[in-house]
Amino acid sequence: MPPVMAQINDPKIAFAYLRPACVLLTRAPTVTNVETLSGQLKEVNDATLQQLQEYVLFPLRFVLKVPGPKDEKLVQSVAEAVSHVLENTCVQSWETLRELLSELCLCLCSPTDPGKPADTSEELKSSVLRCLDALLHAAYGDIVFKLFEPVMLPGLGAAISLLLALAEKEKCRDVQAAALKCLQSLTLQCDCTQEHVVPSTEERCAMGRTLASFLPGITVAVARIITGDLRQGHAVTIRAIKVMSRTVGLVMEDAQIRAGEPSETPSADLGRIAQLMVLRTPAWVKSTAGKLSVLLRKIISCTSSHLHWRVRLEMVELDNHLLARCSQSLGECVGPLLEALVGAVNDEEPRVRKRCEGVLCEVSQRNQSGVAGSSAQTFTDVLSENLHSLATSLPRLMRTSDDQKKLFVLNVFLGYLKVLGPTVSVVLNSAAHLERISKALMQVLELDVMDVHIVEERSYAVAIETSPGSQDSYAAHIQRKHFLYFTDEKIFSALMEICRTLGYYGNIYLLTDHFLDLYQQSSAYRRQAAMALNEIVRGAAGIAVATAGHGLGSPVRGHSASREDLKVAVVSVMEEYTSLHNWHLITVSEETERDRQDQQLLSPLGLLSISNNNVATNTKANSLQVIPSSSGAPPSSSSTSTIHQLNSNIWQLCIQLEGVAHFAQALGPDFRPLLMTSLYPVLEKAGEETLLVSQAALGCMRHVSEACGYDSLKELINDNSDYLLNDVSLNLQRLGQHPQAPRVLTVMLTHSDCSLLPLVGDVVQDVLTALDLSYAHTAALFCSVLHALMKALARWFPSSRAKTRESAGSKHTSSPEDVLDIRHYLLDLRKQKELAEGVGIEEDDGEDLVPPPTQCEDVDDIGGPDVKVELPAHLSTTKDVMERCVHLLSDPCLRLRLKALDVLELCVCVLSEREDELLPLAHRCWPALLQRLTADDPLAVLRAFRVLCTLGETCGDFLRRRVSKEVLPKLSSSLVRQAPISAKAGPVYTHTLAYKLQLAVLRGLGSLCLRLNLGDADLDAVCEACLPYLSCRQPIRLQEAGRSVFQHLIRVDPDAFWFTLNELHCPCSYVPPHPDLRPVRLSGMGRPRDEYSDNVLRLLREEFGSVGEAAS
Amino acid sequence: MNTLFSERDCVFYTGTSTGSSSPLNGGSFSSGACFQSSPLTASDNYPKQTAFGLLAATRGPNDRGMLRPAPSPIYTLRGAGGPLNTLHFSCKGGNTPLLFSGSGKGAIHVWNLNTRRAEKTVEGHSGHSVVWVGTLRETDALISQGRDMQVCLWDLSEGRSEVTDSVWTGSVGFCQCSVLETSSSARLLAFAGHQTEEIKIIELPGKTPVCTLVPDAKLGMVMCIKLWQPDSGHGPLLLAGYEDGSLLLWDVTQRSALSRVKAHPEPVMCLTFDLRCLRGVSGSSEKQLSAWMLDGQNNLQLQDNVALVNPGVSQLCVRADGKLLASAGWDHRVRIFGWKKLRPLAVLQYHTDMVLSVAFSDHQDPGHRLLAAGSKDHRISLWSIYNEGADTG
Repeated sequence: MPPVMAQINDPKIAFAYLRPACVLLTRAPTVTNVETLSGQLKEVNDATLQQLQEYVLFPLRFVLKVPGPKDEKLVQSVAEAVSHVLENTCVQSWETLRELLSELCLCLCSPTDPGKPADTSEELKSSVLRCLDALLHAAYGDIVFKLFEPVMLPGLGAAISLLLALAEKEKCRDVQAAALKCLQSLTLQCDCTQEHVVPSTEERCAMGRTLASFLPGITVAVARIITGDLRQGHAVTIRAIKVMSRTVGLVMEDAQIRAGEPSETPSADLGRIAQLMVLRTPAWVKSTAGKLSVLLRKIISCTSSHLHWRVRLEMVELDNHLLARCSQSLGECVGPLLEALVGAVNDEEPRVRKRCEGVLCEVSQRNQSGVAGSSAQTFTDVLSENLHSLATSLPRLMRTSDDQKKLFVLNVFLGYLKVLGPTVSVVLNSAAHLERISKALMQVLELDVMDVHIVEERSYAVAIETSPGSQDSYAAHIQRKHFLYFTDEKIFSALMEICRTLGYYGNIYLLTDHFLDLYQQSSAYRRQAAMALNEIVRGAAGIAVATAGHGLGSPVRGHSASREDLKVAVVSVMEEYTSLHNWHLITVSEETERDRQDQQLLSPLGLLSISNNNVATNTKANSLQVIPSSSGAPPSSSSTSTIHQLNSNIWQLCIQLEGVAHFAQALGPDFRPLLMTSLYPVLEKAGEETLLVSQAALGCMRHVSEACGYDSLKELINDNSDYLLNDVSLNLQRLGQHPQAPRVLTVMLTHSDCSLLPLVGDVVQDVLTALDLSYAHTAALFCSVLHALMKALARWFPSSRAKTRESAGSKHTSSPEDVLDIRHYLLDLRKQKELAEGVGIEEDDGEDLVPPPTQCEDVDDIGGPDVKVELPAHLSTTKDVMERCVHLLSDPCLRLRLKALDVLELCVCVLSEREDELLPLAHRCWPALLQRLTADDPLAVLRAFRVLCTLGETCGDFLRRRVSKEVLPKLSSSLVRQAPISAKAGPVYTHTLAYKLQLAVLRGLGSLCLRLNLGDADLDAVCEACLPYLSCRQPIRLQEAGRSVFQHLIRVDPDAFWFTLNELHCPCSYVPPHPDLRPVRLSGMGRPRDEYSDNVLRLLREEFGSVGEAAS
Repeated sequence: MNTLFSERDCVFYTGTSTGSSSPLNGGSFSSGACFQSSPLTASDNYPKQTAFGLLAATRGPNDRGMLRPAPSPIYTLRGAGGPLNTLHFSCKGGNTPLLFSGSGKGAIHVWNLNTRRAEKTVEGHSGHSVVWVGTLRETDALISQGRDMQVCLWDLSEGRSEVTDSVWTGSVGFCQCSVLETSSSARLLAFAGHQTEEIKIIELPGKTPVCTLVPDAKLGMVMCIKLWQPDSGHGPLLLAGYEDGSLLLWDVTQRSALSRVKAHPEPVMCLTFDLRCLRGVSGSSEKQLSAWMLDGQNNLQLQDNVALVNPGVSQLCVRADGKLLASAGWDHRVRIFGWKKLRPLAVLQYHTDMVLSVAFSDHQDPGHRLLAAGSKDHRISLWSIYNEGADTG
């Protein structure tokens, strides 16, 4: 049938058109016939259909009325056809309405038991329900109210119970929702978009009276649906809530109750029906309200934390509806309803929040506008009474309930705080209540301190120093707090918001005093109290407090804490936090630290010698090596109780550091004066070894610098370096009590720049003096400061040599040097000649005398000509440090010697600017360095090599002779001596000291040769000493190291060492390009494969690529 | 007052017999032997606490002469850039207590004691060492004396820093001026004159010379002077210490010397005089302080000497409440004495070079009355000592 067709609007034609189908249907009730009719019905327009309504409906109803079992399909198609008719027409006759209602209900219920829904298909049910809905919508206003006459009570009851049963028992969500919708239509409370009959007051009253009979049934069933299976989907729940709210709202309406029941007794002809009727007497109202409150509580507790926000929104609507219509008749339900409303004030969904705020506003306004004044008072009274009782039961609830319940209770609590606003402080003034509230917070906020990981994790100064600017390292590492009594993050944020709101509305002095008391009282409460204090202060400053305009009472948003009050409070809390016994907590167990340091030192240093280009790469290489070794640090054997202690200490520090950050946020620029006392402790923690603490401290520093209006950490430290250095210098004099002072200095140096130098110079003198006074005890501590200092100096004043060296290096690899060399040689020659002839002496001298302008030297040129030019501060500091290194180099402790070598290397780098200063110092430390090179632990040997290489770059001449005279003979002889031993040794040999020494020497030797530009004789000596290590009989790592020596040597003199290698083993024969040329004879030619061939071939292939190709 | 103080005298006596080596050897001082840490050090903390005063409460019955932990400065001011010859507190006006310091490089720093930073730096003596700074009580003007032979009056109000007036003294010595404010607008300024032994007194702001005081005998250079107005109604009196170790009391109106004593064998380096009890004490380059007093007939009478461990005192200062005397020692230390009986109470050890100046704060709140010491090591140390209960004594 074509879809678009002019509809029939002449009743006669329509009648003629429809009649055959109707007749046919009456005769033979089949699906086809019904479908034919319904098809034809669609072609008739609405007005015409209205006239033929009765006629058309008759055959359809006839089908339904035929006794006996019916085909489901048939019933369904009939229901659809009827729906169509009813959706497009009105029902004007009461008889039709009543009969259709009962017929449709019959279709739904099971034929044997009319109270239960039939076991039919879901499609059938949903189409019948749709039909029912259409019927109720189509009913005329003047007949529909007949439904609510007492006579109809049984029928209505049957329909309602059937629908409720469907809504509750049915599996299909659509059917459930449709049933509930029908229920709404049946009580004329439908909220769909169609037009509805608007009942007059009397009619509402009549409806209310009738429905009162069904109220218990409806509410109980609907409550069951609402609190039922969470999986039923939110649509059903929402519908159910709607039914609930509308029904209760209708029956218990204040206006109706107040008007009272008509006094007339039910007419006698009702018979037994009269017993069904309910009279809404005050007693009935009261008992009903009591029962309802039980149901409502159940519903509220179930829905307030429902996952879907629409459900929560619908709950707010329910609260609104009921509070607006029946707040008086519902009596004791008002409390729970308000509670639910208040709990929703901090819903996570903004739409719910907004609506809730609006509703609360309405509620309070209604109360205010209602009976003059007193009503608003009662509302506030109800609220504060609720708050009081909640506060009383809070500890118990926190102890006993599950996460969801906790969240609900906390949200409600928060809601009360928010709704009450400034009046909260009155509640807090009651000591008992404040005590209760704080106890509850203390209980629930207890941290779980079982995590061993936190104690283990270490921050490494190296790792921090190499990336002072990067934000990621810190952002990536914010540890979540774990709590003993809940896991839901929402609970934590609710708790924090409660604290903030308390701070916002409460008296800041009272609160900080109280919580500080708790903080001091017992270590069990300390962390929790600190968390609460942090948030209270933040709240008092108005940070992260939702301050929507739903407050009651005073229109002025009175938040009590002034800036001055806040400052005083912050100062007192800060003092407590940073006091000795709350700040200097042990976070590292001694043993683990030892273990770790040893591990770090003993970790293989890899082939650092090759990449040893400048300091920057060195430090990077270092950090790279150090970090993986951290994972290897084993958990110490110390007992778990101490781990707990350490862990809780760590957390306490973190929380207190967070607190400092919060206080800075709260005070903003006003925090600056407090930096005097607070920055030092924070930096102290930033230098802490425990990763979590140092990260927290760094984060804190960032927040503080932001709050105080500094652009960066650097600026923060530079601007306040005087405060910091004051404390550093004071505490350096009392190292016994304040061993952290060097750490603070280290952190400062790490995060600052050279503008710090003038002030630091002052303190460095203090450091050196303190070091001089007690080498024995504090050398290790100071060594790290010196290391940090030199690292900073090397960073702030990159040596110009390092730069030129780099560029030279790149040139060396890229361009063919011969051309340059020849040109340079010729130019040089000419210059020399001219010099010899006496031309242009002045010029040249002038050029030579002008010192290379460097950024730091300009300043010092101001000094008078007769005065010896003072060294730039950083250089004189470096000199001082280097002098100390000379002593430290021979310290009995290996760790210290290594550190000293590192410092020495940095010193050499920085001082490389001034050879005249460096040389005497180098001379002084040579004996100690020589000892390290020739007679020390393998680790020290390796580092000493590195220092030697760095030194060789600046004062090569000075070193070359000494190395070739004092170092090389010893080393090469020992290498030669050891070679046969290691070649024969078994696998155990790799664990001996001798092996490690061999390895270290081999690893260092190559780069030393390269750097020092040694003479041929020395190179030969080295070559001779190392050749045995190319044997495949040597341990594999010695072979590697041996190869690395040759790699370096080849770079020094490729030709010579090509020859040397080929003499040992030559893979191919060289055919001269011309027969006149004599064939090349190399002694390695034609030799059978021997122990050296593998390594030699490999070297030739890698270093002289073409040869390798030729060979293969 | 008396009893409390005498109690403290013995309680905090700390025995300074150690460390008697030469002041030039820096290392020997830092051993801190006189303040070995005792079990009572727990309260020592960040330099915000006045550990010293708190200890009184923990005193047992038998700790006469017991060793106490060394107090540390509550703060050190850095960045003066030169030796600190003179210090002067000004805490009366306004909310921010100030400390003025004059450095050997010619700069006068105005330190804000709330932020603990230099608020302002003025240079008025063309790079010459600043010998003395002071403020006038009435006008809050700064007055400074430099070795460029000028005494300058400064207007520092409202962010200005300009010299309003200056006086040429003609003396290149180290003798610090002395000012006596006779009325709200007039004041007398005494200073060492061009001639070796002469002291000149002029009236400001008119700069009219009042008198010139020259002793009859040869006493050498004038080393230090103190001008004051006695209660007895006589004209102003002036105490002067001379190079040969003599002290002279001058009557300014009569232009005559009233009394003379030989207080030291060496030059008098500094003196301080307490107007209330008419007692004074002077220091020299030797190992003792000399105390003296004025009797009713304006005669100087020597009292007992106080022995020092190390020789040399740069400056002496009595606290306004008349309880404490502080000495700036060449041995890098500040020594505190009870002013009544000149009992040594404490040795403050922080500096790494000669202490050149000491000053007590004139703050209204006794709890905030600090002691400042300026040293040749370019630092000023601030100390909070014996402040607890100062109001009850």
